[in-house]
Amino acid sequence: MNEEKEIEEQPKPLVLQKLEEHHADALLSKDETRGTVVVVIRKEQAYAVLEYLKTDPELAYTFLVDVTAVDNSQMESELMQFDYARFMVVYQLYSYQGQCRLRVKVPVHENDLNTPSVTGLWQGANWLERETYDMFGINFEGHPDLRRILMPDDFEGHPLQKDYPLRGRGERESFNFDKQNA
Amino acid sequence: MGLTNTDIQNAQGAEQTDGNIITTTIDKVINWGRKNSLWPMPFGTACCAIEMMATLASKFDLSRFGSEAIRFSPRQSDLLIVSGRISIKMMPVLKRIYDQMPDPKWVISMGACASCGGVFDTYTLIQGVDQFIPVDVYIPGCPPRPEDLIDAVLQVQQKITSGASPKGVEHLLET
Ligand code: SF4
Repeated sequence: MNEEKEIEEQPKPLVLQKLEEHHADALLSKDETRGTVVVVIRKEQAYAVLEYLKTDPELAYTFLVDVTAVDNSQMESELMQFDYARFMVVYQLYSYQGQCRLRVKVPVHENDLNTPSVTGLWQGANWLERETYDMFGINFEGHPDLRRILMPDDFEGHPLQKDYPLRGRGERESFNFDKQNA
Repeated sequence: MGLTNTDIQNAQGAEQTDGNIITTTIDKVINWGRKNSLWPMPFGTACCAIEMMATLASKFDLSRFGSEAIRFSPRQSDLLIVSGRISIKMMPVLKRIYDQMPDPKWVISMGACASCGGVFDTYTLIQGVDQFIPVDVYIPGCPPRPEDLIDAVLQVQQKITSGASPKGVEHLLET
């Protein structure tokens, strides 16, 4: 009985309309999964787009929920889509005004791990970016204090990169108390 | 709990002559005291600590065995309860706390994680704290029941009564 209603096309989310209008050149792909709009944007314009998403009075994605990354090095299908960018930095945004979520992904190539820091837009990005740096080795340019946050300071490598061995490289057997306490 | 004649009598080697004179050794009396007033230092880093809290709370009531005086200062305690995962970043902290406790001191390694890494066979987790600090009693389980922790405390008490030295000083006695 509701069939007609179901096939009726949903209106395009406002955020997609506006992004296509203002930042069409930055948009690499757009999608909708389980009610969340997912956009992939070019790294070069990432900061500008995120700033636009936050400051535009109609969108107002003022809350940065999370910053993380994905290592796609073992996901051939994902890799091919975005010009073999190994990492995908993921920003989860929420708009109190529109009561909706948005996922912004930024492809980052292995040979250039730099990507702009968004600490200037959201103070809360500070520790989230530190964690992403610690775990994946993404270098957030312009971050005020890009240090490890979870692993010990003298740790080498970035353990959530897929080629990092699960049992580590011997650090759990060989670590040095004096060095750690210093 | 007052010191009664029977307690002293039960201590191995004690003798009671008729009347009110008791002969025993000073070690036995001291160990008797130590055994019944172990002051635990809780080192709860994960889910096992929830069971430890249950053990200390009214339902399981560890104070029945004289160990209710939890001290969050290692300098005031003589029983270290390691309950939870210890990461390579946390291990130096644990070691420092152990070092700060005055002798004689005992260590309980509670749960699979503290004893052997448990299911977390990963780059960041110490596979058994006994690689770095001496452990007197291990408790298996994930998490162990509060009864298991009580049993471990009783085993530490037994160890004290028997006059055995804590694991931490055995190597000193050998040399
Ligand atoms: S042994 Fe089990 S319950 Fe205890 S800390 Fe490890 S995972 Fe948690």
